[in-house]
Amino acid sequence: MNLQATPDLSRPWLTGIREAIPLLGGYIPVAISFGLVTVQAGFSTWEAALISTLIYAGASQFLFVGMVAGGGPLWLVVVMTLLINVRHVVYAPNLAPWLTHHRCWPWLMHGLTDQVFALAHSRLPQLAERQRLGWFTGAALMAWASWIAGTALGAIAGEWLTARWPLLGEVMPFALPSLFLVLVVPRFTSRRWSLALCTTIATAMLCTLAGVTNLGIPLAAILGALCFYVVQFDTRNRRQG
Amino acid sequence: MSSVLWVAVLATAIGTFLMRCLPLVWMRRRLRKLAESDRIDAMPQWLSILGPLMITAVLGVSLVPSDPESPLSWLATVIGAIATLLVWYRTRSLGWPVAAGVATYGAVIVVAGMGG
Repeated sequence: MNLQATPDLSRPWLTGIREAIPLLGGYIPVAISFGLVTVQAGFSTWEAALISTLIYAGASQFLFVGMVAGGGPLWLVVVMTLLINVRHVVYAPNLAPWLTHHRCWPWLMHGLTDQVFALAHSRLPQLAERQRLGWFTGAALMAWASWIAGTALGAIAGEWLTARWPLLGEVMPFALPSLFLVLVVPRFTSRRWSLALCTTIATAMLCTLAGVTNLGIPLAAILGALCFYVVQFDTRNRRQG
Repeated sequence: MSSVLWVAVLATAIGTFLMRCLPLVWMRRRLRKLAESDRIDAMPQWLSILGPLMITAVLGVSLVPSDPESPLSWLATVIGAIATLLVWYRTRSLGWPVAAGVATYGAVIVVAGMGG
């Protein structure tokens, strides 16, 4: 799973699958929780799995099921769920320079979650052009399949699993921050970037602690970006002064 | 599940897919138009900055333990993050740092739990 350029990738889809394995540590426990919560909210197992298959966006799925179970108006459920997912609009354009002209790419964007984007944004530039479609397909399908399977497992045996191995459910989700850390740390390339990244991390953490996680993600990113621009402005002023 | 609820599921699914897919279609057209110029520069700068920062924001969110009231969760998170960074620094790989981070995080939880 080396992040360095790997010129010899005879089966890029297999490499994609392998490199998506660290995502499972974060995906499966959360998917199991989703399956459990969904069944408890009155949905059947196959309905839970179908929601994960079709919507495939973690936090917004919890909100969807929670609002439906709470009796919220359906138009509001749809609007709120979509609002949470708005951050996804910036992902595909960031990958576009590395994508080939194959017709499948727009369809594969269904698999463009936060985690898959972070992984692809690091890896696609390092791969040869002919390897990118296979790699992305393998990685995205692996992540999607694990999310659906985890949901089904949670719906069928979630209660038993969390009672039997409570520690596993507590420890495995750390794979997600750990993976994100590995994907973000190479971006600390300059003081300007470091300040923007630290501002973003601190803001996101504070928002989460304040209970406004979903608002916190775009807000933290925008504040980080503002910081990026302001620091450049300050540096220029100092030089002129 | 009622048919109205199915419509809501489908509307959410299609809306989410379009938010992931349409920006790609837009960007590809833009890149095609600017084909003679450099492909990376064809992307608006704010977009190339906002993408990585969104991921960084998700990192910030995921760093907050599920039980933020527990000092043990914070301790395990800090030590797990340090272990991840150290192994990343040594190996510059993806899998090993994650495995080391999770193992260290788990070890802190277990050891501190035994002590407590």
